[in-house]
Amino acid sequence: MSAVLEIRNLALGYPELTLFRGLSLDVERGSTLAILGANGSGKSTFVKMLLGLMAPLSGKLSWPDGPLKEIGYLAQMTEFDRRFPLRVRDLVAMGAWKGFGLGGRLDRETSAKVSSAMDAAGVLDIADRSLHTLSGGQLQRALFARVIMQDAPLILLDEPFAAVDQTTEAHLLSLIDRWRDEGRAVVLVVHDLSSVLDHCDNALLLGNGEACHGSVDIILTPERLVAQNYLSKSQASWMFRASREEATHV
Amino acid sequence: MFELFAEMWRFAFMQRAFVATTVLSASVAPIGAFLVLRRLSLAGEAMAHAITPGVVIGFVVAGLSVTSLLVGGLVAGVVAAALTALLARKTILRSDASLASIYLIALAAGIFILSAAGSAVPLKSFLFGSVLGIDDASMMLVGGVATVTLVSFAVLLRPLIISTCDPTFFEAQTKRPWLIEQAFMLLLVLNLIAAFKTLGTLMAVGLMILPATSARYWASTITGQLGLTFFFALASCWVGLTLSYLFPETPSGPAIVLTAGGFFLISVLLGPLGFGGRWRKPSHQSSGQTSTTLAQTSNKERPQ
Repeated sequence: MSAVLEIRNLALGYPELTLFRGLSLDVERGSTLAILGANGSGKSTFVKMLLGLMAPLSGKLSWPDGPLKEIGYLAQMTEFDRRFPLRVRDLVAMGAWKGFGLGGRLDRETSAKVSSAMDAAGVLDIADRSLHTLSGGQLQRALFARVIMQDAPLILLDEPFAAVDQTTEAHLLSLIDRWRDEGRAVVLVVHDLSSVLDHCDNALLLGNGEACHGSVDIILTPERLVAQNYLSKSQASWMFRASREEATHV
Repeated sequence: MFELFAEMWRFAFMQRAFVATTVLSASVAPIGAFLVLRRLSLAGEAMAHAITPGVVIGFVVAGLSVTSLLVGGLVAGVVAAALTALLARKTILRSDASLASIYLIALAAGIFILSAAGSAVPLKSFLFGSVLGIDDASMMLVGGVATVTLVSFAVLLRPLIISTCDPTFFEAQTKRPWLIEQAFMLLLVLNLIAAFKTLGTLMAVGLMILPATSARYWASTITGQLGLTFFFALASCWVGLTLSYLFPETPSGPAIVLTAGGFFLISVLLGPLGFGGRWRKPSHQSSGQTSTTLAQTSNKERPQ
């Protein structure tokens, strides 16, 4: 697998606070990287750095095939204005905004792509609904459809399963699997370990001023999760015992 | 009724007032719509006051001409917007508190300079404008600003929509996201200056905000929002001017804004996204329809 992004000896944080230092990793095409960590450990800051919205304290980011024209991005929903007078179809079309420029109109081909993206995300039947009438899960599906429209080699998802039900989460995880199979690199900030264990190849665990990176099996051990303040001892013991019992059952 | 309108149209000052306010409505409608959508309604009011010292200094230096109005107002507006942005980015203050601080200082400075300049300065016309006394130069100013505004919106509409609806996504999409905000603030200042002589500092923002807030109760698409904002602004101007003609003691600026206030009240009560939607009986057959209202939604699937 070739790397879409190479990170070397990265230190991230703010002038008065270093979140972590010494991180080196390759974000590879056709792989999924989960970012985990306690609140304030630097997960969203890391995503913002990847988007170019903030500079690292030190270290180097290099794009082997040149800087990407498009990075698929799903932000946390905190700043999204759900009362804005838009239909689902218009929101999804935003993903192709760069393609038709500042004042251009949607052509027939792009409109067909918008419909196809909405179909894949399961929002085609509510294409003409206003955003304020959507549930949290429906809006998140619509935002995933917008990511599909971005058609980017690197996709960044910041807490994509917050406030969605299990059915929606399963559907969205299937989309992430599809993107990986298409050869895209997917980086996602998550809290739920089960979705990481089943759907992600690599993990980046942040906390206690450290950044540990590697395959999911190596990084997500009870000892490490406790050491980096992601889980308490009792939580780790309960969670991994339940996981082992489930595996035995199967 | 027809005779009344025929009589009204015979006066050149009424013709000018109708033409100027019609063009002004087209210009301020998209500005007002996005001020409301970007949650900057009060920032528009603050900016109207912030340009006062520039206009007053322009008046004191070069008299009440369109050039002095434009240059003074533009300089004051740009300085106020830049200082607000600087304080919001580089200090602990948020943009609303920064703008409030700047506009309060600017307003006090404007009134101070106005008083110091002597009684010849027409304070009332600064505050309320004189829509029935518009000269050729002012007509040109309104026309020029409307042209610049509408052409700019044709180009900036899409990024404005994205940056308003999903600012984080927009930041990730463009290298200079602040450019859109600055361009929008510049258009706001230009429109305030254009409306300055017609409606004055106190009333100008009324024609921007009230039609836009009224439209919010009816429109569920951005096209509908922009179209209805223009409709309410235009109707407010025409009805307001007619009322001020029928009742000569009624000042035209406040009559226009009060009419806009009337449309707002009607919209709150009857609009499908206001109380009007709540009063309607929820339809059990509406789940597949495209225009589900908040009230209907609350009975089926409440947004989180």
